[in-house]
Amino acid sequence: MKLLQKFDTLLNKAEGGLLILLLTVMILLAFVQVVLRNAFSSGILWADILLRHLVLWIGFLGAALAASSDRHISIDALTRFLPERLKRGVNVLSYLFAAFICFLFFRAALTFIGNEMLDGSTVYAEIPSWYAEIIIPIGFGLLFIHFLIRAILSGHDALTRGEPR
Amino acid sequence: MNVWLFVFAIIVLALLGAPLFSIIGALALYGFSSADIDLSVVIIELYRIADSPPLIAIPLFTFAGYMLAESQSPKRLVNLAQAMFGWMPGGLAIVVLITCAFFTAFTGASGVTIVALGGLLYPILIKEQYPEQFSLGLVTASGSIGLLFPPSLPIILYALIAAVSIDQLFVAGFLPGVILLGILSVYSVQTGIKHHVPKIAFTLRNLGMAAKEAAWELPLPFIVIGGIYGGAFTATEAAAVTAFYVFIVEVLIYKDLKIRTDVPRVMQESMLLVGAIMAILGTAFGLTNYLIDQQVPQRLFELVREHIDSKIAFLLILNGFLIIVGMMMDIFSAIIVVVPLILPIAREFGVDPVHLGIIFLTNLEIGYMTPPVGLNLFLSGLRFRKPILTITRAVLIFIVLELLALLLITYIPGLSLWPVEVLGTR
Repeated sequence: MKLLQKFDTLLNKAEGGLLILLLTVMILLAFVQVVLRNAFSSGILWADILLRHLVLWIGFLGAALAASSDRHISIDALTRFLPERLKRGVNVLSYLFAAFICFLFFRAALTFIGNEMLDGSTVYAEIPSWYAEIIIPIGFGLLFIHFLIRAILSGHDALTRGEPR
Repeated sequence: MNVWLFVFAIIVLALLGAPLFSIIGALALYGFSSADIDLSVVIIELYRIADSPPLIAIPLFTFAGYMLAESQSPKRLVNLAQAMFGWMPGGLAIVVLITCAFFTAFTGASGVTIVALGGLLYPILIKEQYPEQFSLGLVTASGSIGLLFPPSLPIILYALIAAVSIDQLFVAGFLPGVILLGILSVYSVQTGIKHHVPKIAFTLRNLGMAAKEAAWELPLPFIVIGGIYGGAFTATEAAAVTAFYVFIVEVLIYKDLKIRTDVPRVMQESMLLVGAIMAILGTAFGLTNYLIDQQVPQRLFELVREHIDSKIAFLLILNGFLIIVGMMMDIFSAIIVVVPLILPIAREFGVDPVHLGIIFLTNLEIGYMTPPVGLNLFLSGLRFRKPILTITRAVLIFIVLELLALLLITYIPGLSLWPVEVLGTR
């Protein structure tokens, strides 16, 4: 169990690092673009396309991290009143369900990427679209892994009456 | 599988706390697969996230809001507001309302206001001899006030989902937001007078000092509000400038946050919220597409039409329905999921989409603190270590006052739409 938790943390570190890098690029690029547009009435041609895709990438990395720290939006109006142990049992069910759905999305995303590769469409100049879209299957893959790990860990907790994480 | 059995199972899972994006995703997948459509269509829809320029504003404003909340800026702004309004009867309460509105506008009512500001303001209120019940109610109610002012994320999100202009919504939200603040301020002043709360003497020196302290944060509302209302920037551009400016001010000028430790932490923390919103948005694009394809809004409208025939009755029922939605769901998923269903119906009843947005947000604002399960009640209970029942009693009067504002906002569309017309915002 410790190993599993360690693996999860390691994965989170990598996701976090990339997320911080991309957000920094986004903040700087978005600002430069405003300055160029308003002060010099020009702009970087590819900046808007890159910014829009950064939203997608940042969104998926943020979502992957949110899965690990249990920060996805859910209706907790009812589970709030459950006793601690039962709550963890219910959580296992939720995590497993989320993992399953993410897996289905992962498969659909692979099909999507496959089609895009066949099409040979480009996102800008010579850059193939799937370069920009590859985060979709990767993101759902990561979500699947994190939710599965959450399910195993809280299942283990519920059975051994360990401290809540 | 039987459709109803499936829907029932999904609802149970949702109520048991499964992440909402997986619930929405499951419905979309089920819908498309039962219509024999290849499932990669849900991904094509999700990919629309990278196709809408206004979305760029969401990570940027969220980052800026979290940076502000984590810095010393709440303290500086409270000091400044106190130097400005502390001399009035009930002045401190007005300080609470204004600073909370400012923060909620920047952080999007995700509970950040109660956590960051409530803890700071509640002890001051008690120290200044405001009644405990009033103080608790005020900080709890203030947790969602300010949603109608720019650059509030829920407004941006609504504009996106309803395909109306963000700038128009920002203009439309201004008067209703002021009315909401105004009604609560009047009540606060009255409480201040009734309980003989001591006033703080007004001195220019205090005001000058507080203003100097907060000098670098003062331009923020002007960048955002002036930029957008004045037409100099679009909302996305205002977001880019705000994020950059806040970073420079808090890290390089005030040095409240350290670039190597605090900034990466705040970046990651704020993007968790963005990730959670994007997950719901991405999966909801698929579901909405399916529902529209199946003409669900149209059928829903026919169903509603059978029972309701006037605009007024429709608006009343809408208000009730939305308060329940706001109580059960957080504001982001409520907008993403419910707006596509309600919008076509409202349009048939002659409700302007911009006006609908303002009604929508005001309702959700109230729903946040509606007993028994409004989120702010719990946040407040945790933050101030009070039983939920005490908090509930304390917010009741605020709910009544906000309902009053809601009635005005709902039944006088001009409050929202007239400024848009006059300014000619597009």
